[in-house]
Amino acid sequence: MFGDIQIRKKEKSWQERFDALAPKVGDVAPDFKLHDVNGQNPIRLSNLCGHKPVALVFGSFT
Amino acid sequence: MSLGDLYAQYHDRVEFLVVYIREAHPVDGWWLGKGIPKAMLKMSGSKAALDVYDPQTIEERRAVAGRCEVAMQYGIQTYVDEMDDAVNEAYAAKPTRLYLVGLDGRIVYAGGLGPFGFHPSELAAAIEDYIAQMGDAVA
Repeated sequence: MFGDIQIRKKEKSWQERFDALAPKVGDVAPDFKLHDVNGQNPIRLSNLCGHKPVALVFGSFT
Repeated sequence: MSLGDLYAQYHDRVEFLVVYIREAHPVDGWWLGKGIPKAMLKMSGSKAALDVYDPQTIEERRAVAGRCEVAMQYGIQTYVDEMDDAVNEAYAAKPTRLYLVGLDGRIVYAGGLGPFGFHPSELAAAIEDYIAQMGDAVA
């Protein structure tokens, strides 16, 4: 239980630190280049912009 | 509104990307696989995995991302953040978050931090507003 509390404090601290720097409405979206689940088909956000708006869904399986 | 519903409704006018990031609740981290958290997850009907250890390599992360893609069945292509978590940090994304990026590369919608701030219906409203504003530019 003590371990869980420490982990939660660390996660909250991370969120507070990075949330303050997260892009807001009107900001330029940070560009990135990523690969798919097979490590192939690289995609760059800036190459997608201009054709359609892009919805980014961030998450994990857990 | 679910993410699957959102994708089904707008995928012809919006490019959807899932960006798979660092695990929120791995077995060897803030695990929800026992007691009250487990019961609450079960009651909510969540498809979150309870057997995933924090990936230590990009290959491990991609493998879990692949499992997630199959399990969730959103229909949305999944891309995987590198082990430096650069994209996760740039978007303060963990555990889960939604954004909409406009044609000009600027943020149109920045959702709250999940799980409580994660609202696909808000993203849907933002998409509708943006499409209405942009008219023929978003056909």
